Amino acid sequence: MADYEVSRVIDVRGEVCPVPDVETKRAIKGAKDGEILKVLVDYPLSVERIPESVKKLGSEILEVKKNGGSDWEIYVKVKKQ
Amino acid sequence: MIFSGFLIGLIFGALLQRSRMCFNSAFRDVLLFKDNYLLKMALLTVAVQMILVHLLAQMGLIALAPSGLNWVANIVGAYIFGLGMVLAGGCASGVTYRAGEGLTTAWFAAIFYGGTAYAMRNGGVFSGVWKWFQGFSVAPFQYFDQTTGEGFSKLYLQKAGQTLPSVFGVNPWIVVVICAALILWYVFGTQTSERESKIGLKTAAVLLGAVGAFAWYFSELVGRNYGMGITGGWSNIWSVWLSGKPFSWDGLSVFGIVVGAAISAVMAKEFKLRMPRNPITYVQVMGGGIIMGFGATIGGG
Repeated sequence: MADYEVSRVIDVRGEVCPVPDVETKRAIKGAKDGEILKVLVDYPLSVERIPESVKKLGSEILEVKKNGGSDWEIYVKVKKQ
Repeated sequence: MIFSGFLIGLIFGALLQRSRMCFNSAFRDVLLFKDNYLLKMALLTVAVQMILVHLLAQMGLIALAPSGLNWVANIVGAYIFGLGMVLAGGCASGVTYRAGEGLTTAWFAAIFYGGTAYAMRNGGVFSGVWKWFQGFSVAPFQYFDQTTGEGFSKLYLQKAGQTLPSVFGVNPWIVVVICAALILWYVFGTQTSERESKIGLKTAAVLLGAVGAFAWYFSELVGRNYGMGITGGWSNIWSVWLSGKPFSWDGLSVFGIVVGAAISAVMAKEFKLRMPRNPITYVQVMGGGIIMGFGATIGGG
């Protein structure tokens, strides 16, 4: 597991659907090109849905890491055209 | 065997948990994220269940029992229910399975949703509104004659709510074929959003549709002429809790969904007591639950 130079952490654990997805989208829009965001999420549906919406926005998923129980870290590399 | 409700619920809950099925997300994903994955799953489930339920009726194993048509109440109730589920963070079955997954906000949504539905039908809060909307009911349709056995269709109870076939005066199978064809065209003929999931869209839809259809059969065996029902189920759980009424088939099935989702989540290492950081979220989901129960009861579902 590589260590990333994370510039911002988005903690959306415990949030109601679709807050995790919306917050992630918002953070990507507000970030600069090349920034790495770390999304902390504990909601299974969003873990499957966030990577696809990130790709649709043109950004890159570096890693989706599961930590034991229902906790995931999603690393996003922001790409702006 | 009223206990079959619990077993059907267990399977259904586990399937919902693995497939992440939720009508609320299904519609919103399309509008908000231009992602049609869950909507396709939901529609395919409807098509599978529609075909199977009519087959069961054709074989004489069940009699279709559409609840009474009420244009005004159905439309107004569904609209209000939609507002509620956005606030509550999930549709009826969505909130129910997420309660099993350990989402504490879903517990509050479900409690207020079921409580409001129970109250409205039992002379409690807003029951006057419910009664007022009942005034717009369309008279039931006579599907066949009891004595001669002749009539429009024998797939239904002798008297039941109006349906597309009865309104347009066509064979129910024609409606089934047209609707199923439209859905299959949409699901397989248009581009699907990618998603890495535990069980694929098609597998999930076929399993959910099949369980939904067989729910009709098992429910019929205990004299309850209907399929899965989440609102009625939660309402029944409240009547058991508050007034010592016996469990009904759908009450046990809702209980089964919560337990099934919990077992499935624990096995997938996805169970967690989830809590939002902002406590306002609890107020939001409780309000959403009340609006859902209100809308569902008016809408008749």
